Amino acid sequence: MLRYGLLERALGSTAPRLRWYNRIAIFPGGLCLLNLAIETKNLTKTYKTSSGPQSVVKDLDLQVERGEIFGFLGPNGAGKTTTIKILLGIIDSTSGEASVLGNPAGDIESHRKLSYLPEKPYYYEHMTGMEITQFYASLFGIKDRELCERLLNRVNLGNDMNRPIAQYSKGMQQRVGLAQSLLNDPELLFLDEPTGGLDPIAHIEIRDLILKFRDEGRTVFISSHELSDVERICDRVAIINKGEMVHQGRLDQLLSGGRIEITADNVTEELSAKFRSEESTVSFKAGRLIADIPDSMKPGEVIDAIRAVGGDVVSIIPRRKRLEDLFLESVAGDNVIKGRKLSKMTDDHDDHIGSGESTGTEEEVSS
Amino acid sequence: MNAVISIAKTTIGEAIRRRVLLVILLIGVLFLVIAPGLSVLSARQNYTVLTSFTLGIIQLTSAVIAIVLTVYLLPNEVERRTIYTILSKPVYRWHFLLGKYLGAVGALFMMMVLMSTVLVLVFKIMQKDASMDDVMRLATAPIFFFVQMSLLAAVAMFFSTFVSPIVNIFLSGGVYLIGTLFSPVFQDLSNNKSLSPAVKGAATLVHTVVPNFAQYNIQSGIINRGPELRSVEFYYATIVGYALIYIAVFLIAGMMIFDRKEV
Amino acid sequence: MMRLKRAPLLASIVALVAVGGALNRTAYPVWVSNYSPRVDADISGLQADQLLIALAGFREMVAGILWVRADTFFDEGNYDAILPIIRLVTMLDPKQIDVYATGMWHIAYNFTDEQNRSDRRYIPSALALGAEGARNNNYTYELFFETGWLWYHKIDDDYDHAVDWWEQAAEHKDMQVARKNILSMAYLRAGKLDEAIGHYEGLLNNAQAELKKNPNEFANRQNVDTLEGNLDNLLVRMAQRGNFAIKGGYYNEWDYDTKPAYDVGFTAQVTVEDAKVLRVEGTWGVQPVGTRIRIVLRDRDNASGRPAAMVWERSNKVDLDPEKDITFMQDGLFVKNQAFYRRVDMARDPTMYPFSSDNYVVEFYYNPRSGPPHIQDRFGFSGEGMTDKNYLNTEVREGQRVVYARLEFTRDQLLRQGEWATKVPILRTKGYVATGSRQTNEVINVPGLRNEPQTEE
Repeated sequence: MLRYGLLERALGSTAPRLRWYNRIAIFPGGLCLLNLAIETKNLTKTYKTSSGPQSVVKDLDLQVERGEIFGFLGPNGAGKTTTIKILLGIIDSTSGEASVLGNPAGDIESHRKLSYLPEKPYYYEHMTGMEITQFYASLFGIKDRELCERLLNRVNLGNDMNRPIAQYSKGMQQRVGLAQSLLNDPELLFLDEPTGGLDPIAHIEIRDLILKFRDEGRTVFISSHELSDVERICDRVAIINKGEMVHQGRLDQLLSGGRIEITADNVTEELSAKFRSEESTVSFKAGRLIADIPDSMKPGEVIDAIRAVGGDVVSIIPRRKRLEDLFLESVAGDNVIKGRKLSKMTDDHDDHIGSGESTGTEEEVSS
Repeated sequence: MNAVISIAKTTIGEAIRRRVLLVILLIGVLFLVIAPGLSVLSARQNYTVLTSFTLGIIQLTSAVIAIVLTVYLLPNEVERRTIYTILSKPVYRWHFLLGKYLGAVGALFMMMVLMSTVLVLVFKIMQKDASMDDVMRLATAPIFFFVQMSLLAAVAMFFSTFVSPIVNIFLSGGVYLIGTLFSPVFQDLSNNKSLSPAVKGAATLVHTVVPNFAQYNIQSGIINRGPELRSVEFYYATIVGYALIYIAVFLIAGMMIFDRKEV
Repeated sequence: MMRLKRAPLLASIVALVAVGGALNRTAYPVWVSNYSPRVDADISGLQADQLLIALAGFREMVAGILWVRADTFFDEGNYDAILPIIRLVTMLDPKQIDVYATGMWHIAYNFTDEQNRSDRRYIPSALALGAEGARNNNYTYELFFETGWLWYHKIDDDYDHAVDWWEQAAEHKDMQVARKNILSMAYLRAGKLDEAIGHYEGLLNNAQAELKKNPNEFANRQNVDTLEGNLDNLLVRMAQRGNFAIKGGYYNEWDYDTKPAYDVGFTAQVTVEDAKVLRVEGTWGVQPVGTRIRIVLRDRDNASGRPAAMVWERSNKVDLDPEKDITFMQDGLFVKNQAFYRRVDMARDPTMYPFSSDNYVVEFYYNPRSGPPHIQDRFGFSGEGMTDKNYLNTEVREGQRVVYARLEFTRDQLLRQGEWATKVPILRTKGYVATGSRQTNEVINVPGLRNEPQTEE
């Protein structure tokens, strides 16, 4: 597949003139529709540090399809926020290519069709929910007060829209954030830790909103630590570690291929020895076998083998992998201690390195 | 341009609520109010001392406000990550910078109008026989201080695209001091026949490149009630034009840096 | 990411800076001449904090407060302390004309020795201050007038300079009519009689026109009266003194007050009574009071000296620390009963009279231009009615007949040291006549000049 970035270079044109083939990929044999909302190829971001260049993102190939909820996972410092910033055009990549909605990342035309909700957003506290929504609307050139009202109602802030943000709870601020992110009826939403730090009710509300977004045909790109949320709502995920892609694919595919738990009575010692391997756990006592084996053996073969020695199958349970396991596997040995429960990780955003001087701590909000 | 205006408006709204700026403003206004007490000490020079002191207070207060206000505008946005939501909208970075700058100038304008109003009131109360003409003359000075402060804000905005606020306070303050106090010195050096060409050249360069803040101080003409310049309008137009040009220079340079800055 | 294109922006910055530089070249000189402090003056007298505060927008305030402070020093007689204040104030606020005016007057007049003689070494500084003030405030006549006044009254010799300054002053619209009269006085003393008449006539015409416009305005009436009186007086004097006759070429055909030239019979003796103490006595054969003969003691070989004076217009720089190694004493010898006597004590002011060179001259100088009108009536505007058989001089002042005598002393003589420690140095002019009883006679006779016979030869 010839990437449009290459094509662009070949034609020596600028992005706006290439809109006609935004959704078209050119194969050696012909053209076909390209249905990717986000695509990166060899995306790399390197910072110069005192100890030499350090890559925060390395050769990242991402494909996010239109209309899906895409989970972007990784431990702290994996390069998630850096990747999002590159996709939004807030920072430049060192090498590689990134396109968003068919345009190069950062293209102002794509910005009309996407929106971004940062982790722990801050809004000018002296403004009311309505004012802040109108402010963001004006950045799109939208002067429609009714639209703002409608969106605030949609995120259940109808009664509070005229109160200053300073009086809002975390959840309410997050909902204002969602309202502003819907102003331009976006095709693509970037949500950075959208449920972080919210109480359970707010949590569920936001999760439901995200599902509705998909139903409306939007693409949602979620960067999150909330593995349970991701597992519940995402169609596809990518897991990155130390800036490199570890897994990418449909969630059901990534989590399938688990293990089988077998319980059988009246089997022989010999049979039980057949199940023993480095990857399995087997116990045998007084004719009862309990084995946890990889799913490389098919359940039918297992039943046949038990029956062949005159045994009784009590249960065979195929087990799907949990996202948590996949995550732990992906980052094993590096960022987490194996076996530690990771369903909720610390919610710090991953700091990138070398982005200039520090501007102070988060608590220091000027008056 | 909608975006620029919206950002400017929001910036004004925030700036006029910043406590530190309000405290500086309050101190300035307090000094203006106690100024007449000071000039009692020097009855013979009452008018001179009152006018010079009050105008000096306005200039000093405005300069501090201009710097403190501007140096934090960009860093605060980055620190609070508001800049990401804004830049993910169809907003060019230079729109953002321009909006922030115009907001700073707008907030400065409001604060300076307040101080000037107090100035005129104090002047009216203390100089009862002052004519409307005298008041108008007096009020010209803050107008050009405002032009001066707008230029200073552009300098601070430029530096804020690549240095931290504290460093910026010293840098902008330094440029202001050089441009205000030492402009005459550099002018003198560059015209001094006894100096070596190298020194003269350096002085001329500094004198030409460092924005000249000095020429916005026109209070000498107000205090000494000398005659108006024959072409005072031309002079005013020239220095305002100069300010606009230098503001453009600093903003363009700032935009160029900010455009590629990793925030 | 779409980025701004750098090249065109850089080019626009360069272009804008060029235009800005051009604007600055237009505007800045205007600021310097109208609104700026003067840092070309010596700022070394300022402490850094003073400088900072002063230049940071509070200039006029600091200047005002300093000037008020100067009052205290005036009251205390601490004149030295005022000098830096004057300099500072005029530098900070070059538009405060009263500081220039008072300052130059102070510098020129207030530094005196124990016998109230001015330290004239400061006069060049005072003139420079006046000139600077006039440059910085050339919109008003005031400092042109004040500087002219210093030439006219304090220097009282070189009236062409007074004329120059007052002509410039008179060009300013804000100079009051009454003050403009003084330019005619300067013309007279400079020997420019036609100009004096012309100036009076011009003023009179203007005053009459003003009176026509506002006949009920008392000031207008007064101006016309004064000018008519002045012009009448001048014309009568010129007629009596033969000035018209000289111009018309018939001076020798008629009698005039200035004929024949009167011999003033000048003689003098200088005795160094003690170290730096002179006893000066001599004769001046003029009965009416009102004569002051100038006596000057100065370094013989110093370049700043000129006969019976100093080179006053020395530099444009206001120097508050004049050359302290120069010795320059000037005094007036008051004549009564046709004699003069004065004890000049320079011993108590070592800084004013350092006596640091080897040779000195004591000069006697009389110029009728500085004299009162009743004496001028006899001697004429340029000394044409005056002579002296020994000391009439037409060289030391161009175009003028003055009396000028010069005696030379050595340092040892004046300090009464070396071979003069025990001997008393006495120098006399040609034909010195001991004044004797004239000195003790307290009666002042006031006879006329023309009708009375000379009482002494």
